[in-house]
Parts: sequence; C-alpha cells; structure tokens
Amino acid sequence: MRKFVLMHLLIAILVNSACSYQDRKNTTHNSQLLALGTLINISLWDVDENLADSVVHAVDNRLQTFHHDWQGWAPGRLADINAALASGMSITLKDDELKLLQQAISLSQSSQGLFNPAIGQLIGLWGFHSDNPAGPPPNDAAIKTLLHLNPSMSDLRLDDHELSSQNKAVQLDLGAFAKGYAIDQAVMIIKQNGIKNAIINAGGDLRAIGAHGNRPWHIGVRHPTKAGTIAAIDTQGDESIFTSGNYERFYVYEGQRYQHIIDPRTGYPSTGTLSVTVIHQDAATADAAATAIMIAGTENWQTVAHQMNIDKVMLVDEQLTVHLTPAMLKRIKFEHQPTIVLSNHSS
Amino acid sequence: MPTPKPIQFHTTPDDHRIAALAALAIGIHIIEAALPSPIPGVKPGLANVITLFVLFRYGWKDAAWVSLLRVLAGSLLIGSFLTPTFMLSLSGACASLAALGLLCRLNTHLPGQGLGAVGFSLIAAISHMTAQLVVARYLIIPHDGLFHLLPVLMTAAVIFGIVSGLITQSLLNHLDQQSA
Amino acid sequence: MNPLALMTKSDIVFVGIAIMLLPWLYIAFWGDGNSGELARIQVGKQTPVLISLQTAQRYTFAGPLGNSIIEVKDGRIRFISSPCKGKQCIHSGWLSKNGDFAACLPNLMSITVSGHHPRFDSINF
Repeated sequence: MRKFVLMHLLIAILVNSACSYQDRKNTTHNSQLLALGTLINISLWDVDENLADSVVHAVDNRLQTFHHDWQGWAPGRLADINAALASGMSITLKDDELKLLQQAISLSQSSQGLFNPAIGQLIGLWGFHSDNPAGPPPNDAAIKTLLHLNPSMSDLRLDDHELSSQNKAVQLDLGAFAKGYAIDQAVMIIKQNGIKNAIINAGGDLRAIGAHGNRPWHIGVRHPTKAGTIAAIDTQGDESIFTSGNYERFYVYEGQRYQHIIDPRTGYPSTGTLSVTVIHQDAATADAAATAIMIAGTENWQTVAHQMNIDKVMLVDEQLTVHLTPAMLKRIKFEHQPTIVLSNHSS
Repeated sequence: MPTPKPIQFHTTPDDHRIAALAALAIGIHIIEAALPSPIPGVKPGLANVITLFVLFRYGWKDAAWVSLLRVLAGSLLIGSFLTPTFMLSLSGACASLAALGLLCRLNTHLPGQGLGAVGFSLIAAISHMTAQLVVARYLIIPHDGLFHLLPVLMTAAVIFGIVSGLITQSLLNHLDQQSA
Repeated sequence: MNPLALMTKSDIVFVGIAIMLLPWLYIAFWGDGNSGELARIQVGKQTPVLISLQTAQRYTFAGPLGNSIIEVKDGRIRFISSPCKGKQCIHSGWLSKNGDFAACLPNLMSITVSGHHPRFDSINF
C-alpha cells in the first residue's frame, strides 16, 4: 500500500512540474498602444491579467498627456513655453516640468552641446516639424542666419520655477529626448504597481526591467540597411536600448536624402553614420546620448560617450563598419561578424 | 590491555546479493561516466541492465536498493556527490524506478504475458532521459535551447532502452534455462 | 539470437509506438531552425494578426494613412505597397528568418517573423 502511494506521488510530482513548466511558458502579457506618435508595445511577465490591464491603461493615459504637452506642434505646454521664450518673457514651470528641463539642460551640457534641444527653429526650417516632412531643403543663407543666433540650453535661466531665455532664438524641440523621458515615466508606473519584469518598446526604442522568467529578455537589434537583425542583446537587470538612425525620419528631394538629426554646429543633417545604439539604464539619457553620439560621428564619438557616462555604444558607419566600446562588445552577439573597430578610450 | 572487540554487522545472504549487484552496477556507472555526452552528465543509463535484472529476479524493492546505491556510491567514488551530475543521475534513477514500479502494477492488466524486459527497459530509459532533461534545463543549461537536443537524446534513450532490454531478457532466459 | 524472440507481444507494441513517435519529436523541436513559419502583423492598437508563411497570398491592412499591402510568397513576407512617404517598409525587402522585422511606422504597421520559438522578445531599431 505504501509503495503504491509513494509511486503515484512521484509520478504526480513529475507530471505536475511538467505541466507548470507549460504554464510558465505562456505568461507574457502583451499589449499595443498608440502613443507618442508611434506604436508602443508593452510586455509584462508573469502578471495577473487584471493588474496588467490596469497598468497598461495607466501607462496609456500618462503617455497621451505627455505627448500632448511635450511633443507635436499643436497647442500644449511646450508651445506655451516656446511662445514665452520667443517673446522674452518668463514662464512658471510645474514641478515635473522643471525636472524634465533640468535633465535636458544637464544632458546638453555633458554632450558638449551636441544634444541641443534649443534648436527648434532649425529643425522646423528643415521641415521636420511636419508629420510628413518633405523638401525642398532650406537654403544656406537661412541656415547660416539661425546658426549665427546660436540658440543653446545655456541661454536658459532658471530662477526657482521661473524659466526665461537670454536668447529669443531659443525654441525647445525635445524630440531627441522626449521619448526616452516618457518611457522612464511609464517604467515608473509599471514599477509602482509592483511589476518587476517588463519591456516597454516605443517605436523601436525600449527599456526592459527584470527578465523573462528564468532567462533574460532577448532583444534583436535591427540592421540599419537590411531586413533582419544585425545583432542580439540579452538584457541584464534594468536597461534601456536606444538606437538613433539616419533611416528613421527623412525625406528625399531631387535624389538627395535628408535625415532628421541635425548637427547644431553645422546646421545640416549629420553624415557618415548609419546608426548608433546605446545601452544605459535610464531611457532619457540613452535617447539623448544616441542622438549626440550619432552627431559626433566616427571621429569624436568616444569622447562624447565618455563624457555622458555611456559605456556601451555601438556605431555603424556608412561602410557598415561597427565601432564599439569594449563594454558593448561583451554584451552584443552579432548575426554575422562585421568589421569591428574597438574603441580604445579607457572608461 | 583487553583487545577491543570488533564491531559485528549481521548480514544476510540478501544483503550480500544486493551488495554484489550494486558493485557491478557501480562499476558500469563509473565506466559510463567516462563516456562523452552532449550535455554534461546526461547519460544513456547502461547500468540499467543491472537494475532491470534485479527487478525481474528479486523484485522492485531490491532493484531500488541497487539503483540508489549505484547512484550514491558511484557519485562518491567519482567525486560528483551533490554536484549537478549527481542530481542528474539521481533524478534519472528515481524517475525510472517510479516508472518501473508503476509498470509492475500495470503489467498484470496487459494482455497475454504483459511486458517483458524490453518493454520495461524502454519505459525506464525514456523516464530516465526525460527526468535528466528536465533537471538539466533547470540546473545546468537554463535555456530553452537545450530542448533542441531532445530528439537526439530521446532517440539514444529508446535505442539503449531496447538494447539493454534485449540483453537483460537474454540473460534472464539463459539463467532460467540453466536452472531448468 | 533473434531479438523478436526476446520480446513479448506487448513489448513489440510498445517498441513500435516509441519508434513511430520519434520522428514527431524531430518535427516538433527541429521544425523551425532559423526559418520562420509565422508572421505577426501589428496594425495600430489591434491584437496582432498571425499569418502563415506557407500559403502564397496578398493581404491588405488599413492604417491611418491608408491601405498597406503585404505579400506572402515562398515562405517569405514583405510590404508591397504603403501610403507612407519614405517607403522604408518596402525597402526592407523580403523577410524570412525568425526575428526579421519591418515596420511602416507612419501607417502604424509592423511585420515580425517568428517560428514556434520566437527568437526575440522585442526588436530595437
């Protein structure tokens, strides 16, 4: 009798563990949102259905508000702020607005001005404020005029919550940073709800926390020119993976391609680099850094990365040569081994 | 000074028999440990021939003794006690013992003679391999990619199961003939 | 020595079943390799649509800018036409491998190829 029971117990345990293995395989809750002007994918691991739905809903609300306030060119907080700055007046910021601008100013400084959200007029001149950017590109003279006015984040004055600008040419365009900032906000909501394992992906840029059960989250990095992936990254802990590319927003006019990342030093779209991929914990920094490093290009990228405290960078240049930091080399697995240039900058 | 009395263990012929069989099984286990394997520690279970033989001649309880002694002593001798390799051996042994026990019960309900050594061995080998794969997945290669090897390993388990079954049955028949 | 003589009827049945099941294991675990079998089409907020890559077919999906047309042929999938300006999606060409990805973001549409075991949880681009 005892042997019989023991045997059945053993079988039951084996079968049960096989079954629960199956269950665990299927508990990623996936949802899609339209926000920040793009497709948002949220993956939540091992979370109860009801909690997942309410968290996704909360994230959606936050992102909609954020987009209305900081992105786009319709009336919103950003428009109000820009109007005030353009007319030389000051404007009172709310607490969360102050935080956002302080981070933008700090990132602009550490990027040696390559991440310059104050060049809104220049970006508008190039047509990238429109939903469907098209040519013709602006003429040299117009670009030079704006360059000469030299709007930069250091023109901003913050007195407690009062924001003003010493330079009326400053117009804030947070495009290179806002998505990251919004993702950080979303991740805060996810964490506040006790969820420890998630990915939020906004139009390709993502932040992942935790893991997929017993294995890390597997992220594919798309190839800048071909279908398929150029590399794979397994996330470790809480990480953002951001890629700036010359293929994201652009228009072609008379055979020439003009992409949306404008070099504040020249007034023209940056050249020489196809894409920059950055791994860093917070998304806002990763976002700004990917842009700044892309602008820095093959010559100067290591210095900028180092100054922004970014140690995991991959830059793909126009010859499809991959420039990497040693820390990035450790993390990335290439589909097909490319030509690699390893940065020798000590970090 | 009085000479200390040696401690005496009282052993039965049954104990002797189990010890001898266990020793044989341990020998095979150690040889098998030297064989290469795609996943470290996952073995086809050649020592199962001994376990099966004991099962058919002396019953499940003795087979369990021999099997578990084999795993324990074998690991101590190889030096793998409590390592993941040990966990693999142990899980394989337990799973196949459980399956064998269950089959013993069910065998009376099967048509004709029921299953012979080959059937028992096949099921034991499959249980053995399955348990090892599950344990390997959690302890050694925590990656679903491990299951890519499953078809090959299971094929090996089936082949070894049939072969050890045939060997065991042949051995049993031979001994029956001799005593007849 | 004749192996069959060593096996009972039940033995033979069990062995037969085991041998017949083996090929299925190969199909189940080796079926994919790197080739994709399914594509996941995401249109806006809707639940993703799963399309098999085995049947040659054209699909039309409606996005905010208009209709995008997607073609499946010879186990591959691609955007054939899309109302966006950049046509990036079309230039991505044929997708066939597990993890291959193309998107028409202006029209809020994306294609991800996956096998039974999708390689990636998310794509960064």
